[in-house]
Amino acid sequence: MRNLATLLFLGGLAFLLIVITGSLDFGNPPMRIGEAIQQDAPAQVGAANIVTAVVLGYRGLDTLGELSILFAAATAGGLVLGSLPARRRPDAGFVLRAGSDLMFPLLMVAGLYIVIHGHLSPGGGFQGGVILAAAFFLPLLARPQSTPGHGWLTVIEGLSGAAFIAIGLAALYGGQAFLTPLLDKGTLGELVSGGTLPLLYLAVGLKVGAELSGLLMRLAEDEEATS
Amino acid sequence: MTDITLTVVLPLLGAFLLPLTRDNALAWLGRLFGPLLLAVSAWILFMHWSTFSAPQVVILGGFAPPLGIVFYIDRLALLFALAVPLMTLLLWPGDAEKDALRRQSLTLLLAASLTGLALSGDLFNIYVFYELAAVASYGLVAGSGSAAGYLAAFRYLLVSALGSVIGLLGIGLIYFETGTLNLAHLATLSDELASPQGLAAFAMLVIGFGVKAELFPVNGWVPEVYAAANRRVAALLAGLASKLAVLVIVRVLLLVFPGEEARQLLLMLGILGVITGELAAWQARDLSRMLAWSSIGQLGIVFIAFSLPGEAGLIAGVAVAMHHLVVKTALFLLAERWGGSIDKLRGAAGVSALGAGLFVLFALSLLGLPPLPGFWSKFLVLGGLAEAATAMHYLAMTVVLTGTVLEGAYLLRVITTLYASPDDTSAPQSQKGSSLLASALLGVALIAAAVLIEPLWQTLGDIAAQGVDTAGYTQAVLGTVSGSAGS
Amino acid sequence: MSTLFGLIFFVGAIGLCVIGIAGIVLSRNLFRMVLALAIAEAGANLMLVLAGYRWDAVAPILAGTPATQPMVDPVPQAMVLTAIVIGVGVQALALSLVIRVKQRYATLDMREARQRMQDDLDREAGITPSRSQEQPAGERPLPPPSHVAVEAAGGGHD
Repeated sequence: MRNLATLLFLGGLAFLLIVITGSLDFGNPPMRIGEAIQQDAPAQVGAANIVTAVVLGYRGLDTLGELSILFAAATAGGLVLGSLPARRRPDAGFVLRAGSDLMFPLLMVAGLYIVIHGHLSPGGGFQGGVILAAAFFLPLLARPQSTPGHGWLTVIEGLSGAAFIAIGLAALYGGQAFLTPLLDKGTLGELVSGGTLPLLYLAVGLKVGAELSGLLMRLAEDEEATS
Repeated sequence: MTDITLTVVLPLLGAFLLPLTRDNALAWLGRLFGPLLLAVSAWILFMHWSTFSAPQVVILGGFAPPLGIVFYIDRLALLFALAVPLMTLLLWPGDAEKDALRRQSLTLLLAASLTGLALSGDLFNIYVFYELAAVASYGLVAGSGSAAGYLAAFRYLLVSALGSVIGLLGIGLIYFETGTLNLAHLATLSDELASPQGLAAFAMLVIGFGVKAELFPVNGWVPEVYAAANRRVAALLAGLASKLAVLVIVRVLLLVFPGEEARQLLLMLGILGVITGELAAWQARDLSRMLAWSSIGQLGIVFIAFSLPGEAGLIAGVAVAMHHLVVKTALFLLAERWGGSIDKLRGAAGVSALGAGLFVLFALSLLGLPPLPGFWSKFLVLGGLAEAATAMHYLAMTVVLTGTVLEGAYLLRVITTLYASPDDTSAPQSQKGSSLLASALLGVALIAAAVLIEPLWQTLGDIAAQGVDTAGYTQAVLGTVSGSAGS
Repeated sequence: MSTLFGLIFFVGAIGLCVIGIAGIVLSRNLFRMVLALAIAEAGANLMLVLAGYRWDAVAPILAGTPATQPMVDPVPQAMVLTAIVIGVGVQALALSLVIRVKQRYATLDMREARQRMQDDLDREAGITPSRSQEQPAGERPLPPPSHVAVEAAGGGHD
């Protein structure tokens, strides 16, 4: 009975929402700020990927907040799941070990490529960072007995987050506002262009990679849960 | 050095660096780092408050609005922003418990995000800071280590994430309609948003941001979370975080949806909140859950106050909100040791006379006994309701008065239990020194507010006048753009 | 034609959201609630991306030369990037909490776990739990009530 009432309510909600959105003009957005951003971004920010220009330039503070949310989730996960148990599963078979040894450098290269080219092609710190996290997680699955220390991951995580804020603060101490793009903008489309944007994305990529791999390791190693 | 962006950025920096100081040479620095950064934030905000002349706009990244993100600083924002580092310092998690560094990191993140919520002038930026506050609070609630804490945090997470999905839909709807996210720009487009689509978007935003503001109907998580979590965390959430969430909803209401229907919606939700909160508080048998339900009821009164039109509504709302911030935080601090069954508190006054005395002070202020500030705040609300004089407002008046009667019933029950002579079943604990000191400080603040009611009234008037000045807001933010880009 | 496409996309996005909300509200299993949350967040993100779409426009990436064609709105894409990452963080935290709840309460059923949590909170506060902990008094099976026995004895009228 309760289920029926809930389903009816949700059906009504869906109908209401579809009616509301049905009157929206799909495909012709007002573009009040989108148009201006597209005109100004190459000159003001210098990145060929305009979405990156928005993420790190126009809405840089949102990206900082997003980084902090991921950090908060990882810290809270660490607080909840607690310290790691000493006992771990035995190493996996030959196929998985050999496969992970082959995949590890490939994944690292792919991840770093996507991070570094974030301002030129679709990609960026978050996307590349997730691939880097997978690159670090794969050896854990193959060889649970010998994992890299969590200490390094925590250090990378903290320092790259601080680096992001430090780049933003450098602009502040130069007399401009927080997170103003610094450094020479270079020519559009080159690898070294966009001022501090590639550096910011590098910091983001390393932080996300370290964070997510730490979180995945914690989730995987929680021995009682997996038994 | 006194740039106001530092008040948001420095706690974030501290949160990122704190886990690095674990168990090594920098451990002593780690202990002081958090409180130091919060003190710097508080000092910067105090500087801005004392040298305040006109509303300021901070353009982040040098990208002029409406393309970039702005911080808008008027007296209303400064008041709420100033409350954040002060309260966080008061409720700072100590080093005694294990995983203290992680808890301190999360508390710093909470402080940074709440300051950002107070200052920000961009809708999606507000959403991001709100989510940061939410995730930090999930972690703090779950960090209590008890099984009940884990499940309560999970239920809180589900309700909050569900609300965020709906809030994100609302933001998407607003972007579909107007194509911009800057609050000042949206204020100039508020005629376009006066349609049913706009009102639906407002309702979705209210549900999204209302989870933290303990709004009906998304407040089911409140009693369990405040009972299961560490009492200081409960004080932070109930006292501080809820007020900032209310501020966000009020800003959106004043700037973007100044119409009558939006106010009616808030009024109705406030009435429902008061009814459910006070009735349930009357039924509660342990102090923590009683305070939690009472908090829901009081926040209902806050929403009723803010739904009143014009300056009167803003004055009443800010008064009730600030009063609740002080009183509820102090009550939760006292409940740290006394948070169990009320019957077991018999004779607690004999164990800690100061604690019982403070409890009486805060309870009387919550009830609204003159000359305490609680009386003035309730009086402002009731006065505003009487002046508005429609059926809904008279209903609200009846509800608030009935709520006060119920509050009297359950608060006086606790007070009589505290001062009763102890018997065999009761075993009240003594208060913790730090909590007692903190709530004594808040008590002093409350009495100071009662004595300095005249200057406070002036300040509230200034704050309200600036707060309702939508034209001034738009002029300050967008007027700084010469040859406006894309309006 | 364009309104038809628009309607299909909107129905998709809102459908995902509503399915997710239905899953959260109607599920009894904690893990299924987390999955439903993921679906709802996907729906909301889809809705945001739809806000920037323009007919016959290309991706907002410049290939070295200034753009001649119209481009889609880059701002919703940046918003969705942020929203996806937020969603990932929240889901990861939710899973950690589910793992811990399963360990401590030995159940993934929401109602049972909630009852146990209420009992825990009540016990910690020192009040008697709100639901009865004891069996009804008396042995099983209960003897028939006395008035039935009297009727049977004084019966035989039928």
